Amino acid sequence: MHEERMLQDIRRKVEEVARDNGATHVRRVALWVGALAHLTEDQARARWSEMTRGTVAQDSALDIEQSKNLDDPRAQSIVLTSIEI
Amino acid sequence: MTERTIKVDYVPRVEGEGSLQVKVRDGAVEDVRLRIFEPPRFFEAFLRGRKYDEAPDITARICGICPVAYQMSACHALEKSLGITVDGGLRELRRLLYSGEWIESHTLHMYLLHAPDFLGQPDAIALAREHPAEVKRGLELKRVGNRILQVLGGREIHPINVRMGGFYRVPTLEEVSELRPQVEKALLLAEESVRFFAQLSFPDLTEDYEFVSLVHPKEYPMNEGEVVSSEGLRLPAERFEEAFEEVQVPYSNAYHVVRKGRGSYLTGPLARYALNHDRLSPRALDLAREVGLGKVERNPYRSILVRSLEVVHACEESLAILERYRPPPKAWVEPAHSPLPGTYAAITEAPRGMLYHRYRVNAGGFLDEARIIAPTTQNQKRIEDDVRHVVGRSLDLDDPHLADACERAIRNHDPCISCATHFLDLTVERQ
Repeated sequence: MHEERMLQDIRRKVEEVARDNGATHVRRVALWVGALAHLTEDQARARWSEMTRGTVAQDSALDIEQSKNLDDPRAQSIVLTSIEI
Repeated sequence: MTERTIKVDYVPRVEGEGSLQVKVRDGAVEDVRLRIFEPPRFFEAFLRGRKYDEAPDITARICGICPVAYQMSACHALEKSLGITVDGGLRELRRLLYSGEWIESHTLHMYLLHAPDFLGQPDAIALAREHPAEVKRGLELKRVGNRILQVLGGREIHPINVRMGGFYRVPTLEEVSELRPQVEKALLLAEESVRFFAQLSFPDLTEDYEFVSLVHPKEYPMNEGEVVSSEGLRLPAERFEEAFEEVQVPYSNAYHVVRKGRGSYLTGPLARYALNHDRLSPRALDLAREVGLGKVERNPYRSILVRSLEVVHACEESLAILERYRPPPKAWVEPAHSPLPGTYAAITEAPRGMLYHRYRVNAGGFLDEARIIAPTTQNQKRIEDDVRHVVGRSLDLDDPHLADACERAIRNHDPCISCATHFLDLTVERQ
């Protein structure tokens, strides 16, 4: 449930950044996933192509950096680090 | 177009989501549907087959704001299967724990979710810029509520120290004496809060609510009482389902609960206040008089005032309990017997209203069935009614302003839905 909402919020942000930069297509989206985040790489990949269909992020590649650092202050978070347009 | 990489560094948020569909025909509201998309969480299903004493900690996970309510309703229901009655110092400690939750939950709702609506701010972050002293007051008050949960429950969120018959451990005198001055300070902050909220400008509105809450002959209700309605109903809490039923609506994942043969009703602070006004603590009663609040309040926007009075009550109650405190000789009451098979139910007053738990226990002490009816669900239909009235009064507004008015109507009642209401997706079909 939470994972789905987070991915939807990432998609919303990607669309916003693309729009603000006049992009019609997003080529690549990079995520950093904390060691304790409520999202796994598998979940993200499984949902991303589906949930971006019909948006500027359709067919975008998803780069995921999975952190193993339990002491990172953002260990429970996911960070949308960059997008390539 | 050249390829570019844009650094974003954005941390996504987990938010609820709701939508509101409004149909208007010939200038009149024909239909209003509040849709909650949140998927089912299946708590009732995965409680099946679990041991009876796991229910308090499992159900506590339903809500991060009011976990104590879940623990209390589960304990009160299932202690009946064990022949346990919790009284004396342990009963008082339960009221103290519950008071801590009322303080932290109400304060969150009042200062961070509701107050921005009256002060022209989009959210609490913006409010903190314009009114830093007030937001600091709210956060300090909430901190003390959390501290009570920490001392009694082992931690602020999802406490781990509640068990059948009482607690795993009770606080030491040192812990209590550390807590007392903090609650004394909180009482002052709570009183300041009532006076501050009383100065806000409220839309002039009266709703015709059927109020339903627990009523206890001697105290403002938290853990015990009969179910009473402002429209004449009175019955023991365990017979709740004789008079109320959950109804599925095709357009939402959230159940509606109705009073059989009547329809929507309201549970929570406005209902508790209307049905238990005389049993508020002395300072809360004095303040109610001082700010001109009558014995019944039917303006949903003024629920922020009633909530603030309940915080005063909870602080005063906490203080009285802390002053009397002597560590009980044992932290819990031993069961009179193994769990007897049967069906057991209880209601306690979560900050947002009545929380009903019913369990069917089998001969081995495992749960065959669980039914949990949260206050959010009970208020869902009534909130939809409020929103319908707002839409009826505000048809001249453009869609963004209408959405804002509807979100405010929801935030009057429920912090859980409030998470969703900043994302209310409004569709107005005008014919």
